[in-house]
Amino acid sequence: MALVLKNSSAALNQHSFSPYADNGGSIVAVAGDDYVVIASDSRLSTGYSIYTRDQSKLFKLSNDSVLGCCGCWCDVLSLTKLLEARMQMYLHEHQKVMSTPAISQMLSTMLYYKRLFPYYILNILAGFDNDGKGVVYSYDPIGNLEKSKFKAGGSSGALLQPVLDNQLGLSNIKEKPEAITLEKALNVVKDAFISATERDIYTGDSIIINIITREGIREEKLELRKD
Amino acid sequence: MFLSRSEYDRGVNTFSPEGRIFQVEYAIEAIKLGSTAIGICTSEGVVLAVEKRITSSLMEPNTVEKIVEVDKHVGCAVSGLIADSRTMIDRARVECQNHWFTYDERMSVESVAQAVSNLAIQFGDSGDDGGAMSRPFGVAILFAGCDEKGPQLFHMDPSGTFVQFDAKAIGSGSEGAQQTLQEVYHKSMTLSEAINACLTILKQVMEEKLNSSNVEVVTVTPEKLYHLFTKEEVEAALSEVKPLIKDEPSSSSTSKS
Amino acid sequence: MASVMLPVEPTPGFSFENCRRNEFLKAKGYKAPVATKTGTTIVGCVFADGVILGADTRATAGSIVADKECAKIHYMAKNMYCCGAGTAADTEATTALISSQLELHRLNTGRVVPVVTAATMLKQMLFRYQGHIGAALILGGVDSNGSHLYTIAPQGSTSKNPFTSMGSGSLAAMSILEKCWKPNMTEEEAKKVIRDAIAAGIFNDLGSGSNVDLCVIRKGSVEYVKPYEKANVKGTRTGNYKFKRGTTEVLSKKVVPIIIEEEIVKPISSDSQMDTS
Repeated sequence: MALVLKNSSAALNQHSFSPYADNGGSIVAVAGDDYVVIASDSRLSTGYSIYTRDQSKLFKLSNDSVLGCCGCWCDVLSLTKLLEARMQMYLHEHQKVMSTPAISQMLSTMLYYKRLFPYYILNILAGFDNDGKGVVYSYDPIGNLEKSKFKAGGSSGALLQPVLDNQLGLSNIKEKPEAITLEKALNVVKDAFISATERDIYTGDSIIINIITREGIREEKLELRKD
Repeated sequence: MFLSRSEYDRGVNTFSPEGRIFQVEYAIEAIKLGSTAIGICTSEGVVLAVEKRITSSLMEPNTVEKIVEVDKHVGCAVSGLIADSRTMIDRARVECQNHWFTYDERMSVESVAQAVSNLAIQFGDSGDDGGAMSRPFGVAILFAGCDEKGPQLFHMDPSGTFVQFDAKAIGSGSEGAQQTLQEVYHKSMTLSEAINACLTILKQVMEEKLNSSNVEVVTVTPEKLYHLFTKEEVEAALSEVKPLIKDEPSSSSTSKS
Repeated sequence: MASVMLPVEPTPGFSFENCRRNEFLKAKGYKAPVATKTGTTIVGCVFADGVILGADTRATAGSIVADKECAKIHYMAKNMYCCGAGTAADTEATTALISSQLELHRLNTGRVVPVVTAATMLKQMLFRYQGHIGAALILGGVDSNGSHLYTIAPQGSTSKNPFTSMGSGSLAAMSILEKCWKPNMTEEEAKKVIRDAIAAGIFNDLGSGSNVDLCVIRKGSVEYVKPYEKANVKGTRTGNYKFKRGTTEVLSKKVVPIIIEEEIVKPISSDSQMDTS
């Protein structure tokens, strides 16, 4: 009897292992016919503390592809380094820069490769598709890939996405105007962030916007509230 | 054939004092025993044509496969040890599928050639992956394909060396065929002209009479991609075979092998 | 005995009748709703002529800001105010309950209630509930014995300090208090210290935010400033988000006429007229 008790208590012994951190942050990307806009906030945090107010979550992968990552920041650093290496290897093997669709597929396989110990990252990739039109790819942490024209993700993804659906997807709106202009897209992105910052404690400080056109990548910055 | 035959022609890991690896050179010689294969690259697409040696009337000609599909947009014509070529074709197919899986795009023809070349030079001592082959592959390959750079033709020999060509012949009749290609090829050749040229040259270099069961024709075009000619299509092409108008040798831009 | 005529009077105190059910639901995987926390920075300090209390104005529910302008400095009595941090409902209910008791106490005794009395009542209540009432309080006030500032933890322990901070932003705020507070400050000096301490919480603690509220309690007078400073203003939006009339499409229309089946007129008899006397 005593032996049984001892064994059963030993079996209950459990050690916890929590290798992930949530460092917050949000990403928004909008694609048009001849442009893509991708923006992130610049706050990096843990719990109730701020690590930094000035960390862009955008990674320029090529002259027409920018990746936005938020979630576990150490995983972001690791994944983006690996991505850069894989893109360099592709360049040398195939004598060409990877296209956005090629990057999108490779990122998906890289994430799924870690299916059982995933990168805890929300990825949004912005660039141009093979027809030269703007495109946004979004991922879950284990590599599910979705192609779309606009996407929001991160700590205030649930706050931002409905704004995009309404203002850019024109859901439940009778009159559909012609294509969304770059100016309109920029305004919506900025305003959505301004509003999200009001209600999400992990989004704030400032936003960094990358505007990708055939001419190249332009950067804009906008200050947000700092509380 | 080589005056300095010695102990050096045994190993594939040993250079002779003249700086040669005999086994590789012998493998290249083995190609010259193989059936003739011709490839011509035009702006409209690439054509591959091979002779099939039907050594017995009891043989089933369909099972002699010397042009194979590697991916939707790449085909290969082989000459030499066909059994060896299967291994290389397998590698090419795996690499193409792997490329599609990882990058969601078609592998470029040059990259396919590069991938197969990596396999071709793995003969000899075991490397990291435990030694693939103990000798060089006795195969020459023509890679025909269409990618973002357009129609392309590559040739690879047993040493793993691969070079891009406008027109190339391999196999037993290659010397004569290459000579004719040199004279016939011009940059503005149409695809049907190229098919005609391939068949005419094969007719010249083959011992047997050309018919629809001892020749295989494949085209790779940007529109239809890999397309193996049916018996009827081959017959139609054969019926249109007409004598070649020879180009001025000076205006030829064909690379020399 | 309960009957239709005489309903049972609820027993005083908390009801625990759903505890077993809730534990069962939790075991089945049901997630209990989260309480609103004030996720707060509150501070207080004494100065030459009284006490100053300060608070931020953010209330959170998880990572969402539930209220951008909530009041965390609660009225206790004319000479006393109390800052609350922790579970919003608990701070609100506790301070209101004790406040009502203090008023009764004042009416019974006919004099200004001493601050220590309020501190004792608060700690006794919190101790009774063994920390289950999530209220972390800073009580400040002035009475016949002078200025007093008390810190009351959710478990019921208290301490009397010249300056103090509480809530998730307490560490940020305390860094400022430790650096800047000195005895016998003027009111202006003390206000500045309190403002800086709250601002440190607002900017460095994600649980705290929006504005700075201040409450100055002097002998015989109180100045409650809300907001003392708008530390954060909402960004200005560039787009216009007013919808034009007819934006939402009318998919189908159906008119259902009201059919009058019967008309009844009930005359009010003169003898049953309303008593307006």
